[in-house]
Amino acid sequence: MTPGATDGPVAVITGAASGIGASCAGLMRQSGWRTAGIDLNPSDTDLSAQADVSDRAAVTDVVDQAALRFGQIDLLVSAAGYYEESIDVADVTLAQWDRMLAVILGGTVNCCAAVLPHMLRRGEGTIVAISSELALGGSATDLHYVAAKGAVLGFVKSLAMEVAETAIRVNAVAPGPTDTPLLAADSLWRKPDYLATLPLGRLVTPKEIAHAVYYLATEGSMYCGEVLSPNAGAVI
Amino acid sequence: MPGDGAGQDLGGQPRGVALVTGAAQGLGHATALRLAADGFAVAVNDIADDGRLTELASRIGGIAVPADISEPAAGPAIVEAVASRLGPVQVLVANAAAMAMSPFLESKPDDWWHQINVNLSGHFRLIQAVIPGMRARGHGRIVIISSGWGVIGHPNATAYAASKAGLIALTKGLGRELGPQGILTNAIAPSFIDTEQLRVDADDAGITLEEMRQRYREQVPIRQLASPDDIAAAVAFLAGPGSGAVIGQVLQPNGGVTRTRA
Repeated sequence: MTPGATDGPVAVITGAASGIGASCAGLMRQSGWRTAGIDLNPSDTDLSAQADVSDRAAVTDVVDQAALRFGQIDLLVSAAGYYEESIDVADVTLAQWDRMLAVILGGTVNCCAAVLPHMLRRGEGTIVAISSELALGGSATDLHYVAAKGAVLGFVKSLAMEVAETAIRVNAVAPGPTDTPLLAADSLWRKPDYLATLPLGRLVTPKEIAHAVYYLATEGSMYCGEVLSPNAGAVI
Repeated sequence: MPGDGAGQDLGGQPRGVALVTGAAQGLGHATALRLAADGFAVAVNDIADDGRLTELASRIGGIAVPADISEPAAGPAIVEAVASRLGPVQVLVANAAAMAMSPFLESKPDDWWHQINVNLSGHFRLIQAVIPGMRARGHGRIVIISSGWGVIGHPNATAYAASKAGLIALTKGLGRELGPQGILTNAIAPSFIDTEQLRVDADDAGITLEEMRQRYREQVPIRQLASPDDIAAAVAFLAGPGSGAVIGQVLQPNGGVTRTRA
């Protein structure tokens, strides 16, 4: 458990209990930020809230608590998500489709809706949505996940334009296949045959995604609706 | 928090040698300052040294290597000079550029070739010269300054836009070709930057500098011009330890200019 800062900028991070979200939370705390984590599981953050991002009321409640406690919200990192690999499109059930869209797209929308009033009040802030390299290049056997991640990009670009004339910046990070618990031990993305197709020949690390988020949060004021993709060369 | 290295694994070690072309002014100048602040030993190049290059070099404890990169022999000579005085180039920032605006049908072949020779071929030769050293160390970063106009084009700037679009294709090809050897190539596509060039543009248009700034701001969705430091920060990210999985990408810190109409 890292000791939390008592002042400094404030980040709300979803999916903060594991993988990319946890890595973002760790890097922000290490860099003097205060963090609020939203996840189904407890996270190593200054304000760890267990909530489902697809629940608008629950998310709004946590964000309002964080704003009350810390006085401001400088950054939202929308990283909450899950992955279902190797399902043919014909086999994706309506329930699977709905849930994927509700968590990945709906979760991003809910969190943005919850933080925006706080950011608009101060006229500044940064939102970084975690999409996926698959949303840029497409993928054959995880269509519902890719559709949801692609929808996040459309949402990010439009929200970025909507708030363009404020100092609120909205952008996406589209990771390549990243070494997190989202990828099962027998995942196709971990197979040597696949990794050999990448110019870097390896998975992306969660820390590399956190660094991209950190860069956008601290020095990214000129990015408006852009997609930064640390993807090991998966999509060039 | 520019330059503080927060969130990066610096470990207090010197970061290696960086070479920045077009560093006498504007964003090349800002980039040299930023990379020096981040711990790089920096060599600065421009077409000639009118005093500014030496002054910059002495300010940052680096060296000046003036030369016209459109001359075929310049690339290898610059890289050799840097290697002998500072060490092998680990980060190349390909920033020098020539621009001449005119309606396409009135464009002179000499102007076309000059812009291609400086912007594209000059850096082609420079990159060829730095690769052996990077390859030997199994590590290198090539940061190519393209332009928003290389992404979306611009009227009366066809040669410039073509050269900058060529740099994007060069970035992607090198990303794929050199990535497996540990050499990461990426590009940055800025649009309107608040540099000395704005004064020239204002004089050409017969308006004040502030009127020029406002005219450009109106073309940017976020209604802000980039500062040279904004672009230098993008270079620092691509040159630094946090971007190890970024390869063949085009960063666009241009306020949304290249995606949409203002």
